[in-house]
Amino acid sequence: MNICILDMPSYTYAVKAQRLLRARGYPCMIKRRERTPERGCGFSLRINGACENALRVLDSYDIPYSVGGGDDNDKL
Amino acid sequence: MINFDNAATTFPKPVSVRRAAAEAINSFGGNAGRGGHELAMRTSEALYSARDTAAGFFGASPENTVFTLNCTHALNMAIQGVMSGGGHLIISSMEHNSAARPAVSLAMKKQITLSFAEVFPDSAETVESFRRLIRSDTRAIVCTIASNVTGQLLPFREIGELCRERGICFIADGAQACGIYDIKLADGINILCTAGHKGLYGITGTGLLMTDGSYPIAPIIQGGTGSGSLSLFQPDILPDSLESGTPNIIGAVTVGAGIRFITSYGMSRLRAHEERLCSLFISGMEDCGGVTVYRHPSAEYAPIVSFNIGDMPSEQAAELLGSRGFCLRAGYHCAALAHATLGTKGGTVRFAPSAFNTEEEVKKLVYNVKTLKNLPNS
Repeated sequence: MNICILDMPSYTYAVKAQRLLRARGYPCMIKRRERTPERGCGFSLRINGACENALRVLDSYDIPYSVGGGDDNDKL
Repeated sequence: MINFDNAATTFPKPVSVRRAAAEAINSFGGNAGRGGHELAMRTSEALYSARDTAAGFFGASPENTVFTLNCTHALNMAIQGVMSGGGHLIISSMEHNSAARPAVSLAMKKQITLSFAEVFPDSAETVESFRRLIRSDTRAIVCTIASNVTGQLLPFREIGELCRERGICFIADGAQACGIYDIKLADGINILCTAGHKGLYGITGTGLLMTDGSYPIAPIIQGGTGSGSLSLFQPDILPDSLESGTPNIIGAVTVGAGIRFITSYGMSRLRAHEERLCSLFISGMEDCGGVTVYRHPSAEYAPIVSFNIGDMPSEQAAELLGSRGFCLRAGYHCAALAHATLGTKGGTVRFAPSAFNTEEEVKKLVYNVKTLKNLPNS
């Protein structure tokens, strides 16, 4: 199964994104970032399923994110 | 003891709020947005839910809804944050010190220029008073929605429209109006500041700042936000940029519960109840004779009544009523400008009911004011 990992700029945006996606049938969960990027710790959103459609939903609500997780993407 | 000092903070709190506080203490003991373990995540979710509830209630987005310590904290953040680049600020002549003091402080340091718009009983005159003061460098207008002294409602929607036309940031103080009136950012408000512990029935130590995001707010406090920890610069993303340090999570949860209480009770029903109690009190005072009630027939009022008993000093009246079991606030109510506008040199006594006061309690108060009038020194 594809897993898409998004790095969220804040916990607030992580929950907002999670609620929006769950309401549209995307199973997802918030996790503490396993690898801290340059700026430091934060939260990731792990979405089960194809990234593309989920990102479209987040974009339509102006929710900032960066596609993170590096090698973790699509592995889990 | 009968509390009529609900404009300072509502008491008692609804049972649902007390239960929410207990649940928060028992279950949400982590630190929101700071860790990934179960306790932290559960706590973070609770804080977000409260944020989402508040945002929905005021027509804001959750990320633009900031929890503060109180309305004063929110107003300081808004005024200092928006005016950080200087410019001209207009505040009304009915503002609480929470808006007046930070504004005057900036003006005294010559960081901004400041004008005071006189408030009249007639709304159109008040709007005109603001309009006349607008200059090319006017950056913001700060205006209370309801006076904390008399309850006078200011024409905030018209002032918001004026600001929109002129590209000016409108900062509204909703401390005495939120929870009583249906106030939304869409009413023309760019930044809405309010208390969580008054009409929203949360516990003390809670406030809210909601912004439509049109005007950047430079943070006045910086520090840990749980995000971007390796950067030595404050994040520029809301709510983190304005929420440094551990928030009052238990308090925020009670604000969410308080808003749900208002929604389930019905805001218009709640307002009608408090207005009925004010009308009963005012008619009782009119029967008394010799009591001055600070209301003007041309103005509209939130459910707050300021009064004085003859020539009796307001503090003495409140103390005597206090000795008979009534809690009322006397003096100047942290509102130097408002009392100067009203000409109440000795201050006033303020009657402010809540959802939990009854007509019987008001009748008892009226009776006691009548007996006070017969005191030899009154």
